[in-house]
Amino acid sequence: MNPSQPESVLWDDWHPVGELAQLQRTRILHTMLLGVPLTLVLAADGTIRASGTGSLCHGPLQHVDIRYGLVWLCLGTPGRDIVDFPEAREADRIVCTGGSVGVAVSGLRAVENFLDLGHLAFVHAGYLGEEPHTQIHAYKVEPLADGGILATGCRVYQPHPSPMDSEGFDVDYIYAVRRPYIVELFKANPVEKERMDMIALLVQPVTEERCVAHILMAYPPHNVDVGSLRWFQQLIFGQDRPILENQIPKRLPLDPRAEVSVRADNSSAHYRRWLASVGVRYGTVPAGAT
Amino acid sequence: MNRWFAVSACGEVPHGAVAHTQLLGQELVLWRSASGALNAWENRCPHRGVRLTLGDCVGEELRCQYHAWRFATGSGHCTHIPAHPGQKPASNIRARVYPVFEDGAFIWVNLAHDAVPPNAAAAPPGLALRSIFTRAPVAAVTGQLLHGYADHAVCLVDEFTLDVAPAAHRSVRFMLQPVTGEQCILHAHLHGEVTALERLSVLKVHNALMSAVRDRAEAARA
Amino acid sequence: MIRLYDYELSGNCYKVRLLLHLLGVAFTARTMDFHPGREHKSEWFLKLNPLGQLPVIDDDGLVLRDAQAILVYLASRYDASGHWYPRHDAVALGEISQWLGFADALTATAGAARLHDTMFMDADIRKCRAGAHGLLRILDEHLWFAEQAGRPWLCSADHPTIADLACFPYVMLSEEGGISRLPYPAIRRWGERIKHLPGFTPMSGIFPAAAVRSPAGSPPTPG
Repeated sequence: MNPSQPESVLWDDWHPVGELAQLQRTRILHTMLLGVPLTLVLAADGTIRASGTGSLCHGPLQHVDIRYGLVWLCLGTPGRDIVDFPEAREADRIVCTGGSVGVAVSGLRAVENFLDLGHLAFVHAGYLGEEPHTQIHAYKVEPLADGGILATGCRVYQPHPSPMDSEGFDVDYIYAVRRPYIVELFKANPVEKERMDMIALLVQPVTEERCVAHILMAYPPHNVDVGSLRWFQQLIFGQDRPILENQIPKRLPLDPRAEVSVRADNSSAHYRRWLASVGVRYGTVPAGAT
Repeated sequence: MNRWFAVSACGEVPHGAVAHTQLLGQELVLWRSASGALNAWENRCPHRGVRLTLGDCVGEELRCQYHAWRFATGSGHCTHIPAHPGQKPASNIRARVYPVFEDGAFIWVNLAHDAVPPNAAAAPPGLALRSIFTRAPVAAVTGQLLHGYADHAVCLVDEFTLDVAPAAHRSVRFMLQPVTGEQCILHAHLHGEVTALERLSVLKVHNALMSAVRDRAEAARA
Repeated sequence: MIRLYDYELSGNCYKVRLLLHLLGVAFTARTMDFHPGREHKSEWFLKLNPLGQLPVIDDDGLVLRDAQAILVYLASRYDASGHWYPRHDAVALGEISQWLGFADALTATAGAARLHDTMFMDADIRKCRAGAHGLLRILDEHLWFAEQAGRPWLCSADHPTIADLACFPYVMLSEEGGISRLPYPAIRRWGERIKHLPGFTPMSGIFPAAAVRSPAGSPPTPG
C-alpha cells in the first residue's frame, strides 16, 4: 500500500530532524520525518544537503535550515517560518539542546504528557511534585492568536523544581502549544522569580507511532550550566518515557469518548480539540474511526 | 470467543502481585489484592490508556502508575483520583473487567463479558508444571505434542486441550493459551500424588520435556 | 568520599548507585554529559578511563572502571554483612562470576537495543533483541526454579548478591529497546523482590514499588 501524503498543516511546516552537534560529529545523519526516510549531509562549507527516499518524497530537499542548535526541515512548501523562541535569543541566557531521544509513541502523546500536571507528583515524585500535594487546581486554557493554545494559572508544589539545588516551592507554570508537535513550558526561576525558565519540547514525528523528542532550554544564568540542565531534563524525560511507551493505542485518540478526562485534563482536552480543528490526523486516532 | 482459557498457575500470582499476560491478542493485567481477590482486567487505564501492569496493587485496589488513579478489586470502579482528592470519581470510570475464576491449580479467563464461571470447578489433586511461553501458534505446539510426549501417546481433547495417556499412576493435561496468532503459552497440570521429596525433580523433568516441545514448534516455524 | 562518574540513564551506572544506596555508603556523583555531549569520550575523561566508558569510581585515589568490577570492590570493601559478595564462599563466588558475565551479555544485547532505540546508536537491532530474548528466557527459567527451591535470587544463597544487582538494570529497561517482558513472569516477580529491598533506589525508567515509595526522599544533585 502506498502511503498517502500527510495533511498540509504538517507537510508544509518546519520540523526538527536532528541536533546540529550530532551532525557536526558524524557528518551524515539518517533519520525519518513523517514516514519519509531522510539523509542529512553536512558539507565542508557548513551547509546541509538533505534528501529523501521513498514514494512520498524522493530526491534533494530544498527547505533545510539550522536554528537553536537543531536542524530543521520542511518536506513540502513552507507556509510559515520556523517557530520563534524569543527567550532563546536573550543574550544572557544559557541556551542549549537537551539531547534528542527516540520514543515509541505518537509525538502527540508526548506533547500531551508534557502539558499534563496530574502526573508530576507520581511519575516525577521527589522532583516536580510529591504526595500529598496531588490536587490540581483550576487553570485557564485559551487559544493563541496565531494558532495553538495557552494554559495559564497552573500552580504545583515542587520539591526540586529545577537543576539548581533549591528549596521546594509552589511553582507557577505557563504552557504554550505553538504547533501540533511543538510545546513550550515557562516556569518561575527560583532565583529571579520575575523571569521564567523556558523549556521547549520539539517533537519530530518519525512515523505515526514513533517520534524523536528534541529539547530546547533557555535559562537565566544563575547556578546553572549546560551539563546540569541536560542531567535534569534527561532524568525527567527518562521518567516519562516508560509511561509514553506503554500507552495504548500509541496514537492520540481525538474522540472525547475514547479516554476519560477530568478537570485536571483541561489542557489535554483543549489540545485534542485544537488538533481536530486544524485538521491534524497524523499520529491520531481520528474521531469516528474505531 | 466464549471460552475459558487457563492463563496462569494460581501460585504465579501471589497476594499483592500484578502479572501481565495476553489472550487472543487482548492484553490482560492479572492481579490479586492483599486479601487474595483475583482480577483479570483489560491492561489499560481508562484515563490515558497506560498499561495497568506498570502499576501496583495497593491493598484492595490497583493503582495506575501515571496519575495514581485507583481501581477497586472486583468491580474495576475508579475509587480515587488524586488530582481531585475531595471528589468521588464518576461511576462510569472503571477498568474493563473480564470474568475470571480459579480451580485451585490454574487461573481461567473468558473474554466474553457475560460468561459465568462454572460451578464446582476444582482441579483434581496434582502439580502445576512450569508454563512454557512459545513463539509459535497453538496448532504448531499441538502438532508437536501429538507426536508423543516422553514416548507416551497424546490425545486431543479439544483445540486447546490435550491429555497424555496415563502412565502408571500419573497423567498430564496440557492447556494452551493463545497469546496472539503467533505465540502461545503451554500450561500443564500433572494429575496424581507427588511427594515433597520428588517434587523438584518432577518439575525439572517436565520443564525439559515441554521446553523441547517448544523448541521443536519454534524451529518448525523458523 | 567516593566519587562516581555517573550518567543517570546508564544501567551500568545505576547498578553502582543502587549498591551504594543498599549499603548506605555516601558518595558524590559527577554527572557526565553522555548524550549528546559525549563527555565520556573527552580528553580529560579518557585519562581516567581509556576505554571511554561509564561508570568510573574514585575512592580516595583508587580509580576503578567497569560496573561489575566496581560492584565487587564496593561490596568487598564496605559490606560488613558479607552477603553481597561472600568472599569466603567458593560456591557463591563461582555463581556470582557466572552471573556477572551474564550481566555483560545483557548490556551487549538488551542495553545495546535500548541505546539504538533511544539514542540512535548503531546496532544490529534484530540481533540484539533476539539475543536479549534468549538471555531472558534462560533467566526466567532459572528464577522460576529458584523460587520453587525457596531461594528466589540468582545465586543459591538465601539472600541477594551483587549478581542480582548486576543483572537487574538492563533486564528492567529491556522494553525501552523494544524487548517485551510479557513472556517472563518469574523475572517480573524477581524484579519486585529487588524493588522491596531496604534502601532500594529507582532510576529514570524503573519505577519504585508502591510500598517503598518514599515521598520524603531527597533526590541527588549534580556535582
